[in-house]
Amino acid sequence: MAAFFSAYGFLIVSMLFAAMLGLSLYLPLMAGQLSLASPGFYALGGYIAAVMSTSVFPHTEGNFPVPYVLIEMVIAAVASGVLAVIVGIPALRLRGIYLALATIAFVEILRVLSLNLDITGGAVGIFGIPQPFDTQLGYLWIAGPLLLLSMLFVYRLERIRVGRAFIAIREDELAAASMGINPTFYKVLAFTMGAILAGMVGAVSAHFLNTWNARQGTFDASILYLAFVLVGGARTFIGPVMGGLVLTLLPELLRGIADIAGLPPWLAQFLRDGRLIIFGVLIAIGAVFFPQGLINPEMFRRRKADAASPNVPKVPEVSIK
Amino acid sequence: MQQVLTPPTTTPILSTYSVLEVRNISRNFGGLVAVNNVSFSVNSREIFGLIGPNGAGKTTLFNIITGLTPPSSGRLLHNGKDITGLRPHRIAARGIARTFQNIRLFGNLSALQNVMIARHIHTKSGIFTGVFGLPPAPAEEIRTRSKALELLDLVGLADRAEVQARNFAYGDQRRLEIARALALEPSLLLLDEPAAGMNTNEKQSLSAFIRSIHEQFSLTVLLIEHHVPLVMGLCDRIAVLHFGELIALGDPAHVQKDPAVIEAYLGDE
Repeated sequence: MAAFFSAYGFLIVSMLFAAMLGLSLYLPLMAGQLSLASPGFYALGGYIAAVMSTSVFPHTEGNFPVPYVLIEMVIAAVASGVLAVIVGIPALRLRGIYLALATIAFVEILRVLSLNLDITGGAVGIFGIPQPFDTQLGYLWIAGPLLLLSMLFVYRLERIRVGRAFIAIREDELAAASMGINPTFYKVLAFTMGAILAGMVGAVSAHFLNTWNARQGTFDASILYLAFVLVGGARTFIGPVMGGLVLTLLPELLRGIADIAGLPPWLAQFLRDGRLIIFGVLIAIGAVFFPQGLINPEMFRRRKADAASPNVPKVPEVSIK
Repeated sequence: MQQVLTPPTTTPILSTYSVLEVRNISRNFGGLVAVNNVSFSVNSREIFGLIGPNGAGKTTLFNIITGLTPPSSGRLLHNGKDITGLRPHRIAARGIARTFQNIRLFGNLSALQNVMIARHIHTKSGIFTGVFGLPPAPAEEIRTRSKALELLDLVGLADRAEVQARNFAYGDQRRLEIARALALEPSLLLLDEPAAGMNTNEKQSLSAFIRSIHEQFSLTVLLIEHHVPLVMGLCDRIAVLHFGELIALGDPAHVQKDPAVIEAYLGDE
């Protein structure tokens, strides 16, 4: 067991990060807003942690103190939140695919900025980011609770006034407005919450990956996170979490399969390197056969309804004679 | 504010005042004049009918009143205050609720959720109080749910509170939409063709239902309707729109005899 965890520590923690990044896309989607801005805030959070841990916090030997990491996460959260409000107010005037395009542009702007600024280390990026844990599995101490808390947060959110306002806007923005819900406010709020989560994940990731550069937070990442949500299911928070876990595990599984002796070389090669092709095919298959994603709310609703009313007689089957 | 079903302190209404005043409202869509210089006022506690042939501008006028479409010119006063150009959620918060001609329920949500959503302006818990279950959120949630159930009961849908709105029969969807509008505790209720697609019996019971909520919630009702007998029996006063212009205004018997109305509208039947 210990050997398993130490061998797959990196993968397990990566899966949890992916689940949270899926959630960060799901939050604006709760209010019906298709935003692909998460990688931008993820990159921002990472740079904040990288810069602070390498040049602000004094640190010479031993493990980097965990409280510093937490402080970096808080600062990343605040910075992402503020930036999200500034970007969100104009961007969320756009709808559907136009919002998606604008958020992709936002991610690109941040990427180009980070390539050209001195503080972000230009194209080389920032490396030698200090480690708070002895092993990569140690990051579970941060990633695990953070994922659980964010899942709990979204679970509660779906059941309260603010979450209902989000869902109302997703269902019908005009009707929601006519019921006294301010669409702009709640759209920006949902967008900002997604940004805060992505920023916090970025801050931990910078330590986890040891190095941070402009390759973190690109258009590819936008599409990958979108795949988490689309494959997992966009109508309940379990969907993006499962999508993130499964789609991060998948390439490693494929690699494992590729290592099985006796496979034709071309197949082994494809399984190793064709990750994005396989993702693309999965999204296409998902869109056609599981438009709701792997997980949809009806699964839970039916079970709940059955449990609530076990005595309701089933509709008798009509027999044709 | 505690009881939805009992009207707030009903002092006998000694004098009627105008709840909604439409002053010289016009709206153009490109070259088309959808509403042309329309003025009327709706008195407190009145059931006011807005009729007219297809394309007369009735729904456009509703959209202007509820802020969905800004008017090209003219002013709107609600209880004497200017509401022209306010955004829809602000107008809803002032106590003007509506239903839609082409039913706009939140189809994927349950009937209960539909009505609970419309309690938005009467609750105020935010994201942190809500997520962490701090006061006032828990008490508010309980109250929101019980009010929503009361309203579902009122429209006769309480036993199907958990059913998705899109799975309801057409007439039930209309009643659910009215329940949702009532959840705003409006003083002015706008009904856009509430009887559309109903048969004569359903229209009769709808008419009685509108009367009963009008009494129970001390509402002022402004309704668009095609079905002339229903309007004649239900409304205190009627305005007739024809090609965006107001061609008649008055009590039903009076309007029914108006030659312009007969020519424009009733004559078609």
